[in-house]
Amino acid sequence: MKRLSVIFNKAPYGSQAGRELLDIALMAAAFDMDISAIFIGNGVYQLLDKQQPDILQLKNHSPTFKALELYGIETILLEQEALAHRNMTEPQLLDVAELTDNATIQRHIQQSDFVFML
Amino acid sequence: MATFSLLVTASPHSSQGQYSALEFTKALLQQGHTLKRIFFYGDGVLVASRLNCPPSDEINLTKSWAKLAIEHDFELTVCVTAALKRGITNAAEADRNALTGDNLDPAYEISGLGQLTEAMLESDRLITFG
Amino acid sequence: MKSLYILNNPANLEQCLSAMAPDDALLLIEDAVLLCHQHTLHNSYILEEDLIARGFATKQSHWQAVDYPQFVQLTLQYDKTVTWL
Repeated sequence: MKRLSVIFNKAPYGSQAGRELLDIALMAAAFDMDISAIFIGNGVYQLLDKQQPDILQLKNHSPTFKALELYGIETILLEQEALAHRNMTEPQLLDVAELTDNATIQRHIQQSDFVFML
Repeated sequence: MATFSLLVTASPHSSQGQYSALEFTKALLQQGHTLKRIFFYGDGVLVASRLNCPPSDEINLTKSWAKLAIEHDFELTVCVTAALKRGITNAAEADRNALTGDNLDPAYEISGLGQLTEAMLESDRLITFG
Repeated sequence: MKSLYILNNPANLEQCLSAMAPDDALLLIEDAVLLCHQHTLHNSYILEEDLIARGFATKQSHWQAVDYPQFVQLTLQYDKTVTWL
């Protein structure tokens, strides 16, 4: 089975990159692939709980991250260095991702057949 | 010989990525490789408007892609969601969404994101130009 | 699996390098060619056309200048490409 990693490295709402990358992941999940979602750098802001983009008349796509498992995307990795660097802690985030170090993420990307970023 | 597909998300109007993708495509075709599909996503879809009208001394990316695709028989596929959002539509989608006109260049086709995954699985390499 | 990382924005260099494994290679294109004076520990390539366009010499220490045909060949020498955006 082919392995795909989608890497989120941008914060939400300032750009549509996160939302559009999420759509790619969900579509790929319809095919028979082993998909991982990886959150690094400013991408960790995608997982902040209590987002209220509706006040900007933007759709809140963050609840969809909670549904990734239902789509068969079971590997969801969060870079702990990125979190520490931003003075953030796990309780501020949606409870979906597995906290992991940069070296593990590096290895994970290395073992993927395809990598998408936007 | 290998089969390639490309994902192009760069805006044709405000970044270099579309041009890079075009030059990469020419080079791979010249080497005898096969190109299956160029999938345009995000601002990349803006290239598919036949109404794009750059100054006459600048490259017309819409026409450059079209010419190459017709010569070498590969697909120029535009994501439907990204396209409609940005005012790129063919006659059928215009009709469905009660829009007053259409502007998709005839060398391009509108389809879903599944075409990206399919291109990825059916090609030896998928290269992103953003 | 060995990857060819493609970088087009100089601001993303540090994060890109932190994702790369020792055997991976880096290719600078578009505005990322402005990094031509930096050193990395990886196999390093730089797109000649983008250097020339911006007024740089094509001979840069540590970076091997490639043209588009060589860019295509590089993508086949590595198992996959990662465009770091």
